[in-house]
Amino acid sequence: MRLAAKARADGSALADLRQSGAFKALFPRPRDGAVDAILVNTAGGITGGDRFEAQVEARAGSHLRVTTQAAERAYRAQPGERGRVRNRLAVGPGARLDWLPQETILFEGSALERTLMADLAADARLLLVEPLVFGRAAMGEVVHDALFRDRIEIRREGVPLYLDALRLHGDVAADLARPAVAGGAGAMASLVFADPGAEAHLGPLRALMPATGGASLLRKDVLVMRLLAPDSFALRRVLVPVLMRLTGNSLPRSWMT
Amino acid sequence: MTIPMVSMITCTTTTMPTDAQVMKLAQWLSPAYPVGAFAYSHGLESAVAMGTVPDAAALREWLGDILFQGAGRADAIFLAAAYRAPDAAALAELDATARAFQPSAERLLETTAQGAAFARITGAVWPADLPDLTYPVALGRAARLHDLPLLLTARMYLHAFASNLVSAGIRLIPIGQTDGQKVLTALTPLCERVAEEAMAETLDELSSTAFLADIASMTHETQYSRLFRT
Repeated sequence: MRLAAKARADGSALADLRQSGAFKALFPRPRDGAVDAILVNTAGGITGGDRFEAQVEARAGSHLRVTTQAAERAYRAQPGERGRVRNRLAVGPGARLDWLPQETILFEGSALERTLMADLAADARLLLVEPLVFGRAAMGEVVHDALFRDRIEIRREGVPLYLDALRLHGDVAADLARPAVAGGAGAMASLVFADPGAEAHLGPLRALMPATGGASLLRKDVLVMRLLAPDSFALRRVLVPVLMRLTGNSLPRSWMT
Repeated sequence: MTIPMVSMITCTTTTMPTDAQVMKLAQWLSPAYPVGAFAYSHGLESAVAMGTVPDAAALREWLGDILFQGAGRADAIFLAAAYRAPDAAALAELDATARAFQPSAERLLETTAQGAAFARITGAVWPADLPDLTYPVALGRAARLHDLPLLLTARMYLHAFASNLVSAGIRLIPIGQTDGQKVLTALTPLCERVAEEAMAETLDELSSTAFLADIASMTHETQYSRLFRT
């Protein structure tokens, strides 16, 4: 799927939309000058052989907010098969992109490889969050056998700004139980806020963190946060106020249900 | 942590390091080499304050995670990539990647400050042009310039890294010197194993999942009373 927003005199507007396969986009009525896009996986989840690709662009001066309609589910994969998700983000001069997908839930037996590459112009702004849930705690599910590879690469004018890479393979629950890994947490969120005003949010974000979360200013204009929680409910209880603050109270509605 | 036996395969493909090479690495990775390693706890100070690392057994587990699936393995991959970097442009791109991979401001400080100090002193003692680089990148580059064996360099780097954090643990928890040396002895096979595995891993295989160690380095930023810079 390809999706782009552009700037107009009265705010941002959709510039390009091409959809194929199971990925569709919905567009609620514009709010506060931004284009809102809600991605829907009509297949209901990701299994072994699936390929999903999204190219999302906020062109010069525009503001695009992207979320998902529901949590993404990585289902059990057949032996040897891997689901692949590739997301490419581009944020043009003076533009802002908010990449706010809901949780990705890794089921027992799932195999998922995911990459997200973001290219920012010199003065582009990006808010990115990726919440992850390891098994459905409410169903008593524990992930003893799964494969998950994730890589998030953000560049500004071609220079690496932020890189996060993680591999979990095998008994994920046992790994997450380790003391310097996750101490038994079942959910995690990673957040990056690249914005000239990022520094002002450091103190307030720290104040919102539980003992299993942290925020740090990597550079004057790059704020990062990592948060662990027992389950997705506890994760959201911390994450929603954080996202409300960083979106200026414009967190997409699908997050609030 | 269960530690399988270290594979013996690579021993047949590398030539034995000379005494002079071993001595140079011992000098570079000694606590007396002025990179200031003693000032960095890699978030351990915060983890101790929060009660996560109360004794020698917990220290061994905490550091084992960091070596096996945190900065230890990632640094060994960066070190090997720097050693193999074909030119200055590749080295600069690698160093930018290593900076972008740091999870917090203090971890960025830890690797850039030690790397700059290492480059300064090494470039002054053995005159050579070593730019300011992150620590594993600077060491990998210097090892290449001095024609030192890569695997031994990575092993000794990880051992020095573990040794420095054990010293931090001895002061912070506190634990006795003997218990500290027992922890380091238990971690040494892991240093060897991670170094060996990292030789075959590229930047595509980078991974860091010591999430709570990363978070500890973030919460350390606001810790009220601190002995360490990180």
